[in-house]
Amino acid sequence: MTALDETHSTPAPTLGRAVRRSTLIRAVSVLVVLAALAAAPYVVSVTVILTLEEIAAFAVFAVAANLLIGQAGLISFGQGVFFGLGAYTVTLGWEHAHWSFWLGFALAPVLGAVAAVPIGLVALRARTLYFALITLAFSELFYQLVEQNTDFTGGANGVFAPVVPAWMENPVNGYLTLLGIAVAALAVLRWIYASNFGLLLRASRENRARIQALGTSVYRLHLLAFVVSGAFCALAGAMLVIYNQGSNAELFDWTTSGQAVIASVIGGMYTFIGPVAGTFVYQFGHDNLVRYVPDWQLVLGAVLLLVVLVRPDGLVGALRLSGRRGGATRGVELDSATEGSGATGE
Amino acid sequence: MVTKSKWIGMAVAIALCGAATGCAGSAAGAGSSGGGSSGGGGGGSVTIGESTTLSGSIASLGQTGLQGVQLAAADINAAGGLLGKQVKVVSADDAATPATGVSNVRTMLEADHAVAVFGPVASSVAAAEEQVTNAQHIPIFFHTSNDIGLTTATYSKYVFQDVPNTVMEPRAAADYLAQQLEGKPVTIATFAPNYSFGRDTVTGFVQALKAEKVNYTLVKQEFPPLGATDISSYLAAIEAAHPQYVFNAQYGGDLVAFTKEAASYGLFAKTKVIAMYDYSVLQTLGSAAPAGAIGFDRAPYWTYDTSTMNDFVAKFRAKYGDAPSEWAILGYAAVQHWAWAVHKSGSFSGDAVSAALSGASVPTILGDQQIRSCDHQTELSEYVGAVSAKPVSSTDPTHLWTSPAFEAPFDQIAYSCAQMQALQK
Amino acid sequence: MDTFVTETVSILTNAAILFIVSAGLTLVFGALRLINMAHGSLFMIGALLAASLASALGGAWGFCVAVLVAAVAVAALGTGVEVVVLRRLHQREPLAQLLATFAFVLVFADLAQRVWGSSDRSVTAPVAGRLHLAGATVPEYNLVVIGIAGLVALGLWLLLARTATGWRVRAAVEDPESLAAGGTNLPLLRTSVFALGAGLAGLAGAAIAPLESIGPGLDTQIIVAAFIVTVAGGLGSVLGAALGALVIATVESLGTLWVPAYASSAPYLVMILVLAVRPWGLFGVPER
Repeated sequence: MTALDETHSTPAPTLGRAVRRSTLIRAVSVLVVLAALAAAPYVVSVTVILTLEEIAAFAVFAVAANLLIGQAGLISFGQGVFFGLGAYTVTLGWEHAHWSFWLGFALAPVLGAVAAVPIGLVALRARTLYFALITLAFSELFYQLVEQNTDFTGGANGVFAPVVPAWMENPVNGYLTLLGIAVAALAVLRWIYASNFGLLLRASRENRARIQALGTSVYRLHLLAFVVSGAFCALAGAMLVIYNQGSNAELFDWTTSGQAVIASVIGGMYTFIGPVAGTFVYQFGHDNLVRYVPDWQLVLGAVLLLVVLVRPDGLVGALRLSGRRGGATRGVELDSATEGSGATGE
Repeated sequence: MVTKSKWIGMAVAIALCGAATGCAGSAAGAGSSGGGSSGGGGGGSVTIGESTTLSGSIASLGQTGLQGVQLAAADINAAGGLLGKQVKVVSADDAATPATGVSNVRTMLEADHAVAVFGPVASSVAAAEEQVTNAQHIPIFFHTSNDIGLTTATYSKYVFQDVPNTVMEPRAAADYLAQQLEGKPVTIATFAPNYSFGRDTVTGFVQALKAEKVNYTLVKQEFPPLGATDISSYLAAIEAAHPQYVFNAQYGGDLVAFTKEAASYGLFAKTKVIAMYDYSVLQTLGSAAPAGAIGFDRAPYWTYDTSTMNDFVAKFRAKYGDAPSEWAILGYAAVQHWAWAVHKSGSFSGDAVSAALSGASVPTILGDQQIRSCDHQTELSEYVGAVSAKPVSSTDPTHLWTSPAFEAPFDQIAYSCAQMQALQK
Repeated sequence: MDTFVTETVSILTNAAILFIVSAGLTLVFGALRLINMAHGSLFMIGALLAASLASALGGAWGFCVAVLVAAVAVAALGTGVEVVVLRRLHQREPLAQLLATFAFVLVFADLAQRVWGSSDRSVTAPVAGRLHLAGATVPEYNLVVIGIAGLVALGLWLLLARTATGWRVRAAVEDPESLAAGGTNLPLLRTSVFALGAGLAGLAGAAIAPLESIGPGLDTQIIVAAFIVTVAGGLGSVLGAALGALVIATVESLGTLWVPAYASSAPYLVMILVLAVRPWGLFGVPER
């Protein structure tokens, strides 16, 4: 028997049982977490609720960005473009076109998807580091354009107005709405991650040439991922307006894009739930630090360093064991894919 | 082994979140460095909050402004407190990000029970914070960010503007120029950072020139991006147009950079520059300060030769090691406004403070200040003066202004109540 | 005629500044495959160090000493960063290294504010005179900066094209595996290149200090410009950085003159255009 046969033959029966059991555990844990989050407003202080509101929006942002960063291996520093577009669709639509909040909200992902096409067509021609930097350039370009066009966009002042319906001012209402939207969006994204499309993306990350040889146009695959990511990032931006009470030019900046990257890496960019966990940690950490610690930049930087050094694949990361690095036998890929999607805590 | 690592990973994540939340909870309750304590009711203290920019390029404006507010609170406490309570100041860094400012202010209101908020540096953050304080009926006092939108588009009775706004400042400069020219024709160029503050300031300046019937010709208008590192091409364009006066709406580090580059091109010998040469900029420039250039400032301490101001400056210097910037002075005065209103109405509530302060006359370190009722704008003058060729002393190389400075009185530079109310619609 | 001279000098000064800042960044990119986000922070620290030293020592010679000391000190700082942190992350994805450098941006920003405060500083140029060429004013220090850029370019060319170390650095850009197989001490080489990159950042900060206001925020201001130049020119290519600097400086200056409303967006557009046409920059190496 060859090594390949060994990997294939033995695990099959136990694999089925393991998958069934871990699916059950997974479903139960998801329900428990959701129940806890829904009950949170009645248990924790308002400060925490406010942070949770932010987290709802940024978690969707991080997961949508991670579709590119972790799943497709496309490190993008430009998802802030779509985030900002989503937020500004809501606010500018309200201000200039007198759209209701919900109309703007519904149109935000559409605009994000539409904008992603030309940007993706150009950016995806570049690879790895160049791709990261060209997306950064797009981020800065949009930031500059929004900041300069004061008449239309409010410039550096942003657009802060009673755009959000009054009943959502109450942190509890705002939070529960955001939680609902976030859960729905994350469910869709989860379905995308677990679908064949997601599998193809991960495969293209592992070995682009092989996937190309198998007949898939990787460029088009990545473009589709870029559009999907853009749509959901714009949705996240619209969600943020509920918390932020408006939109400002810095949402386009590469530092906003960077936040999604940091959350994904801290949480574990090879998994679905990783960016969510990363957002929790980053947002709670950041919000509390700027309030209580004058040297918050130092602490945040030190923590980030520690995480990068000590937890290489993120807090929830599906570890790519060192022995399997670079060599991709089908059995191994099946294992890690199963572990990635089947184990608990996903 | 993989699963176990994932469990460990999850546990670490939850622990970090829990620690952060617990930290927040306990810090909110017990107080920590820069943190708040429960106020506004329990115990013998009341809390006011300032979320402002304490890091990055505009950090010094935020930090000195906060120092003014903190000193004011300390002075109130030393004199016995306010309505029998000690005043505590909670502060946080907004990193010039509206979302962070909103988050900070909401925490200060919900967890620290702050009864008043003192404004930030950036107007975008100010507008965002205003939304929150308006909704919760908490008075907010702006003493640094001065966009006119704050008292028009997003105005409410809880908003107080304790600093000359974006309309008043350029008008004062235009008034000064009109006075100097006495009807003679003049060529002017403008130079402003390309964002709303810069553009609004220039528009205000030009409009005021028209209103003053100054015989001017606008030979060049430049709008470099905010924080541009090299402005030599803009300077070259300005120089090529040979203006007699250059109106520059930059401030802080950008103005310092402009001054140095312009000096290296010899611009100051050929034209008179009018810009915000305030204490921070002049201090940074030191002996490189452009003697003869015209500066305008919202509250230059050296133009107030009163014992109150001199005492304040001495006290500020003793505590913080430097003379106060205009942000510190205006911040101190803003707290004085708030404390006076609380004292007069006998209550900390936003409605009471707002009612007491609207239209009132309040004694402050800047003298008696009138607060206009239609837009809660403090009736401040703006000051214009020429940069001196001599340093303050042999040990301090800062060049201040020659005296006397030109004072543009409030009613000449501000929009009338009717104009403000039209914009408030 | 005088506009032409002024514009040319302005473009050359701008290009010189961009080149000195970007040269170190592109070297580090090329040899270490590392996007060093902290490059701007090192630049800022170089400027702050030079400002403090120059005020303390005083005079033109004091300034020169300050510049050299600042460059060396920042190179030492860079060495420390590489040995203690970045070396451990070498085997990991580029993203981990990038985030580590981003963490250093935060750390350095805070430490710099702790040490030097939040107020801005100013340094007087060692030569404050100006020349008059064809009716245009040319500040002498601008010519000094152009001169420094030229020296840096020459020095780097000599190093890379004429020395064994330089050959190794170029090989590290093209094909590190073969280089390691050939017996070169790669970790030492990497640390040296990083130190050189850091030193160049510090030198840039110190040399450009008299032209601007030095304070917090300088790090983020400069880093994006440096990225644009480096990427447009091609990662790892010093010639690319020089050309990129010239192109960006020209676009910015002419943009200011002709389309001022879009002058600030122009550099990003140029970068996007260059990458759209040639996805690895002007002189970059196609991804292996």
